[in-house]
Amino acid sequence: MTTGTPLSGTLLGGSLLGLAQAGLALALAPGVVGLIRWLKARLQNRLGAPWWQPYLDLRKLFSKEVIVSPNASWLFRAAPFVIFASTAAIAFLVPMLAVPSPLDTVGDLIVVVYLLLLGTFFLALAGLDPGSAFGGMGASREMTVAALAEPTIALAVFALALSAGSTNLGQIAARTMADPAAALGPGHVLAFGALFIVALAETGRLPVDNPSTHLELTMIHEAMVLEYSGRYLALIEWAAALKLLLFFALLGNLFVPWGLATRVTPAALALAVAVLSAKLVVLAAAVALFETRIAKLRLFRVPELLSVSFVLALLAITSSFLWR
Amino acid sequence: MDGTFAKLAVIGSSAVLILGLVLLWRRRSNAHIAAFSAQSVALAATIALVGHFTGDGQLYTVAAILLLLKGVAIPVLLRRMERQFGAQRELEPYVNTATSLLLGGLLVLLAYVVTRPLVTLSQLPTRAGMPLAMGLIFVSLFVIISRKKALTQVIGFLVLENGIALLAVLGTYGIPLILELGVFLDALMGFLVMQIFVYQIHETFESIDVDQLKGLRK
Repeated sequence: MTTGTPLSGTLLGGSLLGLAQAGLALALAPGVVGLIRWLKARLQNRLGAPWWQPYLDLRKLFSKEVIVSPNASWLFRAAPFVIFASTAAIAFLVPMLAVPSPLDTVGDLIVVVYLLLLGTFFLALAGLDPGSAFGGMGASREMTVAALAEPTIALAVFALALSAGSTNLGQIAARTMADPAAALGPGHVLAFGALFIVALAETGRLPVDNPSTHLELTMIHEAMVLEYSGRYLALIEWAAALKLLLFFALLGNLFVPWGLATRVTPAALALAVAVLSAKLVVLAAAVALFETRIAKLRLFRVPELLSVSFVLALLAITSSFLWR
Repeated sequence: MDGTFAKLAVIGSSAVLILGLVLLWRRRSNAHIAAFSAQSVALAATIALVGHFTGDGQLYTVAAILLLLKGVAIPVLLRRMERQFGAQRELEPYVNTATSLLLGGLLVLLAYVVTRPLVTLSQLPTRAGMPLAMGLIFVSLFVIISRKKALTQVIGFLVLENGIALLAVLGTYGIPLILELGVFLDALMGFLVMQIFVYQIHETFESIDVDQLKGLRK
């Protein structure tokens, strides 16, 4: 494709780039959440906390004491680490800075979907473990949403995989870069719509879950983490922010892959970081605007929204199948 | 050139189909009317697009009439009807929303299977959009049989008309203008007759839920 140092030429170089990518994702994640909150506040004519507030919150939480219910088992203590580790593992696999992504051989789209589900599963278990009523309610709701949302993620990305001929995320992005006209095809547009709706559902944003309230009748994510405190809560919140960033990276880099570095030079990587940040800001602004415009759906109407996104993904698959 | 045309035609037909699927998703009549209006605009744009790439001037006329009739005039009439009946929602359709959406997806798949011989036979660059048009026809028929409110059924019929027009323009680059004019007149007359029916149903039952037509009225 291009001259210059081929990517992931050496395993060491690839691993270093992978580490840098995951580190960048971890560092940016709270900022993205803070940015969405600040934008929402401005849109609602409030002053709002600055965008770096989540960093301060995380620092505060890490230095606080942990209180654990006497009813909780080892699972309650282990879950935050599993959730954080599984989400951080995805950060290595999603193409964020360069294609073919450095650790492409380690895992593809199917691994990413399973890692996402693993975190969700442990979060639900941790919600059930201390035996509080809210935790159980949240866990049951989260599982309802996840059962509908996870197949749609796989289906939407499969639509892209079909047209790229590979389930490898880096390959998919590289293929779209090589054939810009495909990015405007109906398969891509429909899959983007499907994945956007699912991203909102999976990361607990409006209209599925309200991230800014603790209203008992509506919460999903907050209900499950209600019993957590101190550094455990910090890990879970950080993982949730990271999950949002990873969905943004998937949306930004699989569908609009331009700006990804195709070879390792300082200039290309610097450009990739800048473009990634720009994409994150645009998506954050889109989510903030969207959340200000709409109200939360009643819980029983959430499956309807998710079946809309499932149908979009199904149509995306059909049209990319026909396109070949 | 042909590649761009094919792609734009598929994007246009996808937009028309997606706006048709909104009928299965939303419950309020004004959302249905807005979707129908937007769909007619998208259809007119697709027809104008085909006219542009094939150099057929008549298609522009068809697109303009369609835009005025289905994009503006009929939605205005529909809104007036909706206002008179009050904001009645499609509360309990025969098939619930989530299932309808999944069935809608399956109907589009069925349309792909059904139109496969047609698509392989056709040489036109627009052929990839034909399954989508057929899918829209199936979906709108499904709307007509699965919804209880007379107004929703009328909109379903109008969307069916749009589906047939889309299939015609994609499959044969449009039928002659004089026939098209006849079709428009038919659609308008059909709509006006149905409007009278809906008013009569409302007069008799004080509701436009066609489920009530099943029982005898004392």
